[in-house]
Amino acid sequence: MSGIRVRPTVVRRPRLLVIVALAVALAVPAGAAPLALREVLPNGMRLLVAPRPAIPIVVLRVYVRAGSTLDPPDAPGLANLTAELLTRGTAKRTAPEIDRAIEFVGGSLETDAGRDGTTVSLAILKKDIDLGLDLLADVLLTPTFPQDELQRKVGEIEGVLQRSEENPEVLAGRAMARLIYPGHPYAHPVTGTIESVRKLTRDQVVRFHHDHYRPDAALVAVVGDVTPDGIRQALLRRLGGWTPPTQAVPVIPEAPSAPPVTSETITRPDLTQATVLLGRPGIRQDHPDYFPLVVANYILGGGSASRLYTRVREEHGLAYAVYSYLSPGRYGAAYAVALQTRVDAVAEALRLVKEEMGRMAQAPVTDRELQLARSYLIGSFPLRLDTSRKVADMLVGIEEYRLGLDYPDRFASEIAKVSAADVQRVAARYMDPATFSSVTVGK
Amino acid sequence: MALVPSAIGAAAPPAPDVVESTLENGLRVLLLEDHRSPVVSIQIWYRVGSRNERPGATGLAHFLEHMMFKGTASHGKGEFSRLVEQNGGQDNAFTTQDETSYYVDVAADRAELVLGLEADRMRRLLLDPREIDSERQVVMEERRTRTEDDPDGLLAEEMNSVAFKAHPYRWPVIGWMEDIKRINPTELRAFYDTYYQPNNALLVVVGDVKAPDVMTRVRQLFGAIPRGPDPPPVTAIEPKQIDDRRVLVKKAGAQLPIVDLAWHVPNYESADAPALELLSTILSEGRASRLYRKLVYEQQLALGAGGDYPYFSRDPNLFTFYATPLPGKSAETLERALLTEIDLLKTDLVPEEEMERAKNQIEAAFVWQQDSVHSRASSLARFELAGSWRSQLDFVPRVRAVTAADLQRVVRTYFPTKRKNVAVLLPEEGSPPSSK
Repeated sequence: MSGIRVRPTVVRRPRLLVIVALAVALAVPAGAAPLALREVLPNGMRLLVAPRPAIPIVVLRVYVRAGSTLDPPDAPGLANLTAELLTRGTAKRTAPEIDRAIEFVGGSLETDAGRDGTTVSLAILKKDIDLGLDLLADVLLTPTFPQDELQRKVGEIEGVLQRSEENPEVLAGRAMARLIYPGHPYAHPVTGTIESVRKLTRDQVVRFHHDHYRPDAALVAVVGDVTPDGIRQALLRRLGGWTPPTQAVPVIPEAPSAPPVTSETITRPDLTQATVLLGRPGIRQDHPDYFPLVVANYILGGGSASRLYTRVREEHGLAYAVYSYLSPGRYGAAYAVALQTRVDAVAEALRLVKEEMGRMAQAPVTDRELQLARSYLIGSFPLRLDTSRKVADMLVGIEEYRLGLDYPDRFASEIAKVSAADVQRVAARYMDPATFSSVTVGK
Repeated sequence: MALVPSAIGAAAPPAPDVVESTLENGLRVLLLEDHRSPVVSIQIWYRVGSRNERPGATGLAHFLEHMMFKGTASHGKGEFSRLVEQNGGQDNAFTTQDETSYYVDVAADRAELVLGLEADRMRRLLLDPREIDSERQVVMEERRTRTEDDPDGLLAEEMNSVAFKAHPYRWPVIGWMEDIKRINPTELRAFYDTYYQPNNALLVVVGDVKAPDVMTRVRQLFGAIPRGPDPPPVTAIEPKQIDDRRVLVKKAGAQLPIVDLAWHVPNYESADAPALELLSTILSEGRASRLYRKLVYEQQLALGAGGDYPYFSRDPNLFTFYATPLPGKSAETLERALLTEIDLLKTDLVPEEEMERAKNQIEAAFVWQQDSVHSRASSLARFELAGSWRSQLDFVPRVRAVTAADLQRVVRTYFPTKRKNVAVLLPEEGSPPSSK
């Protein structure tokens, strides 16, 4: 966790901490070569391989459906703690030995827990791939979860959680999850809370790993200087003996579709700016309204030509950051609008935001706006695929959201089909400000 | 654990086929073909940042960066980004102490459109007073987000204003709030006319294009812009620091302390720069790095810790160590622990394994950087702005040549016990307890 601090730099537009609107990231040209080769290995693990031989590097992601949705109700943060501890000691190596081995060859081996799944990411030069795969298999299959490492990690997570109280966007996001996913595992933070993390035990971690790290709930995406045959053999040698436990993969309920609309204020007199988040349930990629909503969202608050950006930032100077986004998950989705403005301007900024949200349904968007949205969404696809890491992320998304490898081919044609009437229809359904819960952090 | 020494490929990457040219008007151009993806990164870097400002008008460079999106005689406000997005591109810009950079990543067949837009706004900005006033509010919001309400940003600002007395690095890139409020259209215009000239700019294009075609278009689009007067040099030289300096910030709302230690160090022009770069990797890169292993892992004092060396800084700048204590640990303890680590580097040679690991990490980062046209272009630009893109070729060999004795000498030379700068942020008493 050595944070890299960059030199004093001020960026024109905020880097958005947005959970990727995956569909936007999934287009490749119609008729292009398939993005990857897909197969299911004998133990149920899915393998996707995209050779990219020009540079001698390999990116490998193992995605296991072992995210915070599987936290027991009384143990929020268990999936995250388990993920964090994978690299902290195995049957063959201690945590410092793992760190030294991977970093000695300039590689990285990182774990990251999310709501739906946990990703183990390996990035390594091709010549060191065998070492990288050995370490990867080691941390996936034989982590030992030493008690002293668990205590260390719990202390670190507590510190991270306490520090995150300084960040109003994080606070707003957590509060919003509570409001729009009541009673669902999505309501609690992936990291858990300081109280819940303190109570987690090694036995719980061991059991979580045993129950949920299983090949039939896992996929492996490999991008870089590899051949499909070579990497399959290399993976089978190391992960072929990984077998699923006998019990069935757990079933997670869908998030509630119509939670009550509420609002919450988190008082913070020390802040000079207020952070406002509006949110409501959204839809996933498999919903018929999905592509129209992608277009509608782009027009409302997706880019620097959007209505929110133009009205609130460019015309009224009321915000540095104002945007909207779709946040799909496996068991539910959210649609949200975010804004930061000085504390005495909140009412005025919110009035403008809500007016623009309502206006999306009152009249059709203009041809110019529709054309811009379509040409941006379709035309920017190559930028979503221009590095090995981006391709690997996309493969995981395609597989996890059950979109199929033909999804990229569909994307451009579906976006191109969206009409102004479609946009107006979905705006009425998903952008009515009266249907949004709100969280305000500040004052 | 057996560690097999890793010979990472050839010691130096082969020289890429960079096409370089300086137009008659002084515009510096670097082009590099990369045909792996059908995209191109187009970056224009102006050699102007907060170091070119004066007290009382800080933040001009960054304010102007915002105004670059607010319209020219031929393209109205917002039109630049709208056209870029309409063509499937992504654009942004940033300002540092030394330079202002604008980039567009876009499908390769749209390169010409973007070059035309950049040529247009190099000399034809409107700077409409009404738009300036509206954007002023946006910049003020940005300052609230980045500095007023962000403990890290606030402390970095305090550190610079203590560590520098004479050099413009003492004020923040975004500028002081009172200056942002006051800056007027005349000053913005004068700043634009002084620094936004072809002879003060670098254009870098990397991607799926044909370099000769791009060069032809660049000559057509930018060649007609006349050379401007040479911008005035920045003459300030920071006097040698004579004793420790210390600043304490108490911040309401902060949850944990932050400790920053900084020493004045030379930049890329120094023969010691590769050693300082290697040192920052040894200290900070990864979980096996020194400060993580000692302060976070072994001593369990810190939530995070590292050391940052601004290799590419135009003028000598600060090597900064930073750390945040774990809950329950004090800033004093952590400051002492950081100093102990620095002293250790003066007395004990860094073991060969650590040297080799850091060198391998730096070399691997160079290979990874080639995976994206955007990072390839940025890297060429940074080296070019620091003299020549060609020095990218011997960067890794120069780092490889650093010995443990060199590191020890460099630490002894640049991190004396006195002459350090210490900035500490403490949560203000009565700060709201963390909400659960």
